[in-house]
Amino acid sequence: MILESTQHANESPLLQVRNVRKLFDETEAIRDVSIDVVNGEFLSLLGPSGCGKSTLLMMIAGLIKPTEGSITIKGSPVVGPRPDIAVVFQQPVLLPWRTILDNVLFPVEVLRLPRKDYVDRAMELLAMAKIAEFAKHLPHQLSGGMRQRASICRALIRTPSILLMDEPFSALDAITRDEIGVELLRIWQANRKTVIFVTHSIREAAFLSDRVLVMGRRPATVAAEFKIELPRPRTIPMMEEEAFNHHSRELRKAIEASHVH
Amino acid sequence: MSTKAKKQLDAIFWPSLITILLLLIWEGFVRVFQVRSILLPAPSEIAVTIIRQWDVVSKHLWPSLYLTVVGFFLSVVSGILVAILVTYSDIVRKGFYPVIIVSQVIPKIAIAPLFIVWFGTGATSSLLLAVLIAFFPMTINAAMGFASVDQDIHQMARTFMASRWQIFWKIRMPNALPYIFGGMKISITLAIIGVIVSEFVASQEGIGYLIKLAGGLLDTPLMMAAITALSLSGLALYGIIAAAERYAVFWQTFKDDVK
Repeated sequence: MILESTQHANESPLLQVRNVRKLFDETEAIRDVSIDVVNGEFLSLLGPSGCGKSTLLMMIAGLIKPTEGSITIKGSPVVGPRPDIAVVFQQPVLLPWRTILDNVLFPVEVLRLPRKDYVDRAMELLAMAKIAEFAKHLPHQLSGGMRQRASICRALIRTPSILLMDEPFSALDAITRDEIGVELLRIWQANRKTVIFVTHSIREAAFLSDRVLVMGRRPATVAAEFKIELPRPRTIPMMEEEAFNHHSRELRKAIEASHVH
Repeated sequence: MSTKAKKQLDAIFWPSLITILLLLIWEGFVRVFQVRSILLPAPSEIAVTIIRQWDVVSKHLWPSLYLTVVGFFLSVVSGILVAILVTYSDIVRKGFYPVIIVSQVIPKIAIAPLFIVWFGTGATSSLLLAVLIAFFPMTINAAMGFASVDQDIHQMARTFMASRWQIFWKIRMPNALPYIFGGMKISITLAIIGVIVSEFVASQEGIGYLIKLAGGLLDTPLMMAAITALSLSGLALYGIIAAAERYAVFWQTFKDDVK
């Protein structure tokens, strides 16, 4: 069920990636990728490790420049990091000398916004992530899962319109991974951010997303596009249901097909 | 008793016991074999000498300690400043830094007489020699600390739009603190060496001068008293830095306690 382009066709896209190509020296990492993302959508980029999907994410974040093509957010081209985009990395990358609360407030401090205006919001986010009681703790006193939750809070503190997530749960164990996925969806539904989620896990992509783009191997291209029509809020038992399995199978087939050529 | 308190006690108890044992053996050896104090005074005699001749010892100890501390601070400040240049200037990193590292092979103690020729036999020579010796480990450690920022952390800071200035103060500096303290611990001992050596070569005061003078007079107990006072002062200075480190680098101290 490969769709043309997509879902809320009448809304103008929040993020537009147009014919983007990326060369590292002579090597082509990304070839002619075009993506439209509408406001509030949860989009996953699914593909094998090292297929260039993280590179694409870093280009949207403004850290890497595309060789060709354009990336625009709300109509303005991305030329560097911007306050309405936040990134959650594979590792939590918290600063070890700052408490969890001070880590969450780091983006506020960097923009020289008044800290006191954001403390309440930070505590709210930590409460939503169920780690409020660790606000005054240092990162190494928390488990890997709790640290990653804190880094999600940090990404949300400035209420960005787009949240970019680069395999954020791949360093966690399988059980923690499922739990934190549910938490993420809960936080996402409360805030209704646009999320672009890079993953190599079929289960994760099917469970979290509204829409999944299957990326082919280097050079990365969009090999297939799927709408995930599972009801929200999604729960862990849903992963046992036939509808979920159906989506997983479709995604797996598309990934295998993208490997053939 | 908590395991933490027990560990701390262990860390103090065993080295203290060994030290006391060695001093007792020394004392016993001197008494049993009736070693003349001109060759080897007993620990008790050294202690008595420090107390009886404290006015002489302290008169020479303070100027040396003063120069050591000033020299140490100058090398910390200049070391960090040079490390910042190494971090941010390509010319300094590619051109000067290798020269600085290679110049390490020069035994700087051998330059002491040259300093006397240039700057005379006073405090200036002592201070400059102390700085010259103590400066290198400080620079190298601080530069390593500034450069060792995790690539992921750097990228994180950039996505949140931190400026270069903010990345330096909020990330590079705290990240380098453990390295800087490591450098300080080496530098303080080297600063002492620098001061003492230059006092050996030519000076009219200072603990180095007193050691040489007592040696010339074959007053071995006074010589040992001066060495002891100097060593204890060095230990105290090192202890102050180690204590400051535990306080300043709290996130690492804590990690060690957890292990």
